[in-house]
Amino acid sequence: MTDLAHAPEHHDEHESTGIDNRKLGMWAFLGSEFLFFGALISNYLLYQGRKGFPGPYPADIYDIPFTSISSFVLLMSSLTMVLAHNAMSRHDRNGTKTWLLATAMLGSVFLGGQVFEFTEFITEHGMKTTTNPAASAFYVLTGFHGTHVAIGVIMLLSLWGIARRGSLSDRHGLNVELVGLYWHFVDIIWIVIFTVVYLIR
Amino acid sequence: MTTEQHSAIEAERHDPPHPTPIQYVKIAVVLAVLTGIEVALFYVGDVFGGLQTPMLLVLAALKFVIVVGWYMHLRFERSTAQRFFGTGFVIALFCYGIVLLAMGAFALSR
Repeated sequence: MTDLAHAPEHHDEHESTGIDNRKLGMWAFLGSEFLFFGALISNYLLYQGRKGFPGPYPADIYDIPFTSISSFVLLMSSLTMVLAHNAMSRHDRNGTKTWLLATAMLGSVFLGGQVFEFTEFITEHGMKTTTNPAASAFYVLTGFHGTHVAIGVIMLLSLWGIARRGSLSDRHGLNVELVGLYWHFVDIIWIVIFTVVYLIR
Repeated sequence: MTTEQHSAIEAERHDPPHPTPIQYVKIAVVLAVLTGIEVALFYVGDVFGGLQTPMLLVLAALKFVIVVGWYMHLRFERSTAQRFFGTGFVIALFCYGIVLLAMGAFALSR
């Protein structure tokens, strides 16, 4: 695949280290996001086993089949995202447009699943944010991840809007790549959350 | 910039071939299968006793590496980017690992 960040028109303007500065900035930002999510995951791990608070605890009410499907949806959105990037590098504007929309739709399905899950936990099981520290930590962690997904969906729909107007040119190649990096990062964070928070007992 | 440095940067710019769309789909199938195994382990993991948690962590790590390496193209990326991204990950793992160990997160049970 052609590396769009290193297309000739970008090279002279934004490189001094052999890699486009904006792309390097995105890698640095994503690296720092590990610290952010690391704090939230650690917070959950510390509180999930604390005794002496009213239930239910998150681990008692997880709907694993439902969350597994949500995880699968988010995982597949990484495939559609990388296909959008691939289409962009082949100058296939229609393909890019289609895959960007597919990614945004899959992200929206994941978000819908999260809203449904939160609603079920609160209304059916009575686990509110203040019920116990584990519930608090769970909502903060998954809520912040959901916020990241929502921001990703907005960025994807913005790119799709540009593509729909027919204005998606080669100079937007790096933008597609950067949004792709962000989207895949959101996916890898969910890979960790799904295993550490939901599956490990 | 010396000639050697310039040559090194030029050499780095010749990217190795990235995966094709079909290869991306194959990678997605692998990720889906790994997720399926994870969920299966959740239900039948008691058979493996104390190995359930390490096995789940290994599967998650595999999925993590596949997405970062192939979908994010980090394995094809410049070493500078690898260092920026990798440093954040290692620091987070190290710091929070120490915090969790120090606070006994792995010893608590409800």
